[in-house]
Amino acid sequence: MRRGGFILLLGLAVGIAAHVVYFNVHKPYDAGTLDGQLAWMKSELQLSDAQFARIKELHEASSPRLRALAAQVSQMQAEFVAFENTRRTSDRVDFIEFARFVEVRRNIDRECLDSTRRLVMAAANEMTESQREQYLGIVSATAPQARPLTN
Amino acid sequence: MPNPPDPLDPLLDRWTEPKGPVPNLAPEVWRRIAHEERNAPGIGGIWGELDSWLSRPPFAALFVTSCALLGLFLAEVRVNRQQRVQSAVLVRSYLQLIDPLLKANTVAKMP
Repeated sequence: MRRGGFILLLGLAVGIAAHVVYFNVHKPYDAGTLDGQLAWMKSELQLSDAQFARIKELHEASSPRLRALAAQVSQMQAEFVAFENTRRTSDRVDFIEFARFVEVRRNIDRECLDSTRRLVMAAANEMTESQREQYLGIVSATAPQARPLTN
Repeated sequence: MPNPPDPLDPLLDRWTEPKGPVPNLAPEVWRRIAHEERNAPGIGGIWGELDSWLSRPPFAALFVTSCALLGLFLAEVRVNRQQRVQSAVLVRSYLQLIDPLLKANTVAKMP
């Protein structure tokens, strides 16, 4: 029984080891980091190493600006909430201030759209025709839409 | 008309009265019961059978290889399932990364 038991345990250990190693090698990419997203894009679009390096460079270069714009948009949303609270509580609207807010928000929206469009176009220019088609299909969900100013 | 000979007749002719109880009857009965139980295919029998199969090198190799293949197959199923879920999350994360408006809206909607 000792030899049979040993083979049984050996089979179990080999099966578990094969499972763990294969799963770790083919582990899904981390969605929370830029590296994880770009690695996923590389595999999804079958980018070459040179394409990947260039696209990574483009994303890393535009990342601080996009983050700053996102922070500005969040700030504008907070300002709008403050406007709305003032209007509700005191029933007064500072129209000059609100007009300034709308103008700033409009500029930020335009900058966001331009930055996104520039990044997408620059990345797409590094791709082949079929890769570009697939990439634009993925990012089309974020195509410029008519967004309400106060959103 | 004479009756045809019955095949039981000679056997009945050989039959005699039993000469008292057989000595050691109970131990003999228990010995036979124990012998039958040893040979019966119970739990010990299955393990014994398995042990004898696994002790043969070709079957041992086949068993270990099958375990490895099963482990790989289950890992592939698990990876496929996770990748399906993760792909949708990655697309969403990437879109938020490149579109500040989308990112700000998502953050704003968070509780």
